[in-house]
Amino acid sequence: MLETKNLTKEYEDGLLALDHLDLKIEPGEIFCMFGANGAGKTTAINLILGFIPPTEGTALIEGIDVVKEPLKSKDFVSFVSENVMLYGNFTAYQNVDYFSRLAGKRNLTKTDYAQVMKRVGLQEEAFDMRTKNFSKGMRQKLGIAIAILKDAPNLILDEPTSGLDPRSGQEFLELLLELRDKGRSIFISSHDIFRAKFIADRVGFMMQGKLVMMKTSEELKGEDLNKLYIEYMQEHAGAE
Amino acid sequence: MLRDIIKKEIQDTIMSPRFVFTFLLCTILILLSVYTGINNYQAELKEHSAAVALNKKNLESQQTYGTLAGLGTKINRRPQVLSTLVSGIWEAVGRVATVNIAYDPSMIESKYNSNPIFAVFGPLDLSFIVKIVLSLFAILFTYDAIVGEKERGTLKLALSNNLPRDRLILGKAIGGFISLLIPLVIPLILGLLILMIYPNISLSGDDWIRIVMICVIFLLYLSVFFTLGLFISARTSRSSTSFLILLFIWVTFVTIIPKASVMVASQINPIPSIHEITAQKDAYLQEIQKEAIAEQREYFKKNPRPEDPKEREEWEKNIQEWANDFRGRLTAKIDERNAAIERDYKIKMRQQQKLAVNFSRVSPASALTFSSMSLARTGVSEHERFLNSVKAYKPIFTKWINQKIGTSQPPEEGQQPKLDLSDMPQHEFTPEVFSDSFTRMLPDFILLVFLIILFFAGAYVSFLRYDVR
Repeated sequence: MLETKNLTKEYEDGLLALDHLDLKIEPGEIFCMFGANGAGKTTAINLILGFIPPTEGTALIEGIDVVKEPLKSKDFVSFVSENVMLYGNFTAYQNVDYFSRLAGKRNLTKTDYAQVMKRVGLQEEAFDMRTKNFSKGMRQKLGIAIAILKDAPNLILDEPTSGLDPRSGQEFLELLLELRDKGRSIFISSHDIFRAKFIADRVGFMMQGKLVMMKTSEELKGEDLNKLYIEYMQEHAGAE
Repeated sequence: MLRDIIKKEIQDTIMSPRFVFTFLLCTILILLSVYTGINNYQAELKEHSAAVALNKKNLESQQTYGTLAGLGTKINRRPQVLSTLVSGIWEAVGRVATVNIAYDPSMIESKYNSNPIFAVFGPLDLSFIVKIVLSLFAILFTYDAIVGEKERGTLKLALSNNLPRDRLILGKAIGGFISLLIPLVIPLILGLLILMIYPNISLSGDDWIRIVMICVIFLLYLSVFFTLGLFISARTSRSSTSFLILLFIWVTFVTIIPKASVMVASQINPIPSIHEITAQKDAYLQEIQKEAIAEQREYFKKNPRPEDPKEREEWEKNIQEWANDFRGRLTAKIDERNAAIERDYKIKMRQQQKLAVNFSRVSPASALTFSSMSLARTGVSEHERFLNSVKAYKPIFTKWINQKIGTSQPPEEGQQPKLDLSDMPQHEFTPEVFSDSFTRMLPDFILLVFLIILFFAGAYVSFLRYDVR
């Protein structure tokens, strides 16, 4: 379970990047956070992962305060960042092996790695290729494979579908649904409203550091999410 | 986990094109430097033997002790075997010193004198390669150690795990340093093997201890730049900025500080030029010559040449005795005065040198130069020791030649003159013992260790607070 209570980040220059965010993502739930660039989505992720200290409030992973017990809390979360380059001189195998070891998974075999890489849609011939020759989509898939191999109960994804072709995007969404069904709490920060609307259990719109709107999939049933988002964007542009 | 990070760091570096490039270049340069070092040393050994033989022949071919006193004997400096690795200053300061009755000995006939092109390009010895090339590679290996991971997004990914930052920086430092050692150590071992198996190169146990210590100094020097790279990399948010800062520091450390320190020291503590010293000595020589002529006149005035042949024989004998004593007194006076001028000059020069050395020690490049030259016995101190030994030999030679001039008989009519050189005192020089060299290089050793600790601590603390976003 991922939870934020009153989570706030104000930088030294006075910029309020995140304004009292209260959020709870239950096990078996996918939460999609939408918002324009600079709306506070990535700040929220950085605070949850403990990369930056909050000005106020707390972030909890499986009930563990990420400020008080930063290392312990990270045992329970996997992270897929936007546009991860990985180690270009390493093959796909070597990359997943290294990050799995860092995640404490030392008993995984090459077959385990191959299975997960195949599952995220990476072609078999790419397993032994150096990742510097990978396209953005291939790197993204590998990043997702690394997150899956960690097998943490919580998953945070920053723009996970950017760079994925339609087929891979669809496969990826199916994978997320599978993970949700296994009880994972999934937090997605995205611009990709078209794909996310099919899988999100809840969506939230961020604007200037604030979570201005939150709707469940039930509430969205009669709504056009695309239209809502565009209206939101226009409102945001008007506010600016 | 630490082992995984170290392993990853080594693998990642080894598989990179910059490692392949560094390894190839290091191998070529190190082997080339050892090879040229060996060739130079052997050529110098040959030249030394030839020069010693020629000097002996020259001495023996003199007609009288008087001409021998004027011509003098040449003291040829024996080349140091470790100049194959660290050529030091010996190529520039001369290989031969002439010891005669008149002038104060100084080193002449440097390699740069015989072929000025050597002075233009300087030696390509191992010390130069480590100081310039490998230090630059150390920077190249570390300028993006932290900031590069941030740019690639791998730092965020790694730290989203239960991974303490101190372990990550430690692993990166150890792994990165091992990766840097590979292109240095493998060619270095090959180079030393060549040195071992090459004919006419004999290395004593003392030489091997010195070689090991030189290698330790090289490693410490590279560690300074390695930890500096890590430190700057953990203080910047873009790898291009990190590289520029490091390049600036490298230029300052390696070229500006060592040269500027000499200039600053000479401004703070000026010393008379060598021409002024020579002029002082010449002026005194002229003064002495005037005094000598006056004393000579006075003597002949007081002791006129007797008409009686019997008395004349006694008179000639007295003149001979007086002349010997007179010459001895004059030489002693000149030597004493010259020694005083030299002493004064040396004190001032040493003060200036000390100041320049202490200023330049801010730079690890200077610390490397001083310590490696001390260990190879090719530095300023060993040169001074050799010159002092030659200067100490001068009064011994002068005394002997004066005695010979005083006691020798002119050859009989029709007989070939032959000089007896069997009792001629020989110049002796004992190279510095290891304990003294070690004491001399200790401040530089400590300084390098201090800089490593300082930069690593800086990198460590900076990384703990590093913004990974």
